[in-house]
Amino acid sequence: MTSAETQVAQGQGQGSVEAKAAPPTDAILANGLEVGDERPTEADNQRALMNILEDIDSDRIRLEATQSAILNILDDFDAERRKVEEANLDLQAVNEAMRGFIAVAAHDLRSPLASIVGFSALLKESWETLTDENRLKFVATIDRQSQNLSRLVNDLLTLSSVEGGSMNTRPEAIVLEEAVLRCLDLGAGDTVNVSLSCSPDLVVWVDPDHLGRILDNFIQNAFNYGAPPVQITAERRGGMVEMRVLDHGLGVPPEFVPRLFGKFARATSPKTAAQKGTGLGLSIARALAELNGGETFYEPNVPNGSCFVVRLPSADVPQP
Amino acid sequence: MRVLVVVEDDPDVQFLIETVFSEDDRFSVAVLTASAENALEVARTTEPGVIVLDHGLAGPLTGLEVAPRLKEVAPNAKIILFTAHEELRYSAADEPAIDGFLLKTDITQLLPLAQRLTGLGPRT
Repeated sequence: MTSAETQVAQGQGQGSVEAKAAPPTDAILANGLEVGDERPTEADNQRALMNILEDIDSDRIRLEATQSAILNILDDFDAERRKVEEANLDLQAVNEAMRGFIAVAAHDLRSPLASIVGFSALLKESWETLTDENRLKFVATIDRQSQNLSRLVNDLLTLSSVEGGSMNTRPEAIVLEEAVLRCLDLGAGDTVNVSLSCSPDLVVWVDPDHLGRILDNFIQNAFNYGAPPVQITAERRGGMVEMRVLDHGLGVPPEFVPRLFGKFARATSPKTAAQKGTGLGLSIARALAELNGGETFYEPNVPNGSCFVVRLPSADVPQP
Repeated sequence: MRVLVVVEDDPDVQFLIETVFSEDDRFSVAVLTASAENALEVARTTEPGVIVLDHGLAGPLTGLEVAPRLKEVAPNAKIILFTAHEELRYSAADEPAIDGFLLKTDITQLLPLAQRLTGLGPRT
């Protein structure tokens, strides 16, 4: 029984009590009823009706609240669905990038491998007919391509461990000027046309191996893809030390700049075509800088040339 | 004598192909070029018997893209797509202008393939 029915029943009961207490004898006789009959009065009916209407109204309010809650739940579902769809799109993009990465990596691995396999097979099969000069050229090519292959494999492994989160950093205080000079001493470039402006007070808080890799990449890039003179400058910026490597070559084509720090990034130009880089150097430099709490970016060197910038934490700022 | 045109952007591989064909004096290397655009010019003038064509080249055109145009200007040339891209095997098979496909790691098969395609057969 609903509350409305209960109230109607109660209303009927009360009505019969009132009828017993004060029977309107004339009215009863006029209606042909006997004394003692228990019939609801109009007031009883009205009250019961009002109770029913109140019940309906409260049911309506409850229904509206339920409907509103359901709508909220549906909205939440919709928001979650959109999030899942966005996550799916992100995953598809990651998959696509990964497929592209693997395709380029496989091709770049195959190219030196093809030379190594080809030249060694020819050496083996045609040793007798080859001239000494050609044998030497073959061996030199195998050696060069083996080094290319080794460099590429090392770069791939480095990038994989940085991006996979398995590369650790062991930061220490390093005098930047000393690190740059050491890198220039070890490098293969023409250091005659290099100027360095870096105060010995500038000390960075970074993993020394990672810093060496970043410096080597930036400086070799300037030698290989830019043009002299190469300028290296460094200055303090807030809690960071900013180092800039500038060259006076053609610079990076503007349409290529957004992809410059991407994997296997190689702009098409006679200078880049002549180089045998792995196309991973800048992405590794960026990843290592970020791993050490820094950042890297590129700016054109006005009026001509490139400017590669790395910002690294200063050692005199308390590190977390 | 079959004239050979090599379209390859890697100088090491150019040298490798040149050396392979030097084993058979029925082939004569006319030109080594790194771009498809230059290859078209060369093919017009040298009447090549064999074109060894890489896929990834120095210019904007790929080997697969330039193959039909090379065939147009040098209809008698046998075109061999010589690439490190294994995945191009079926695309090469579907391209009528390409007569042979070889992976760069199978370099020792290059001369026998050219000999077969040109009808010369093995050097005796």
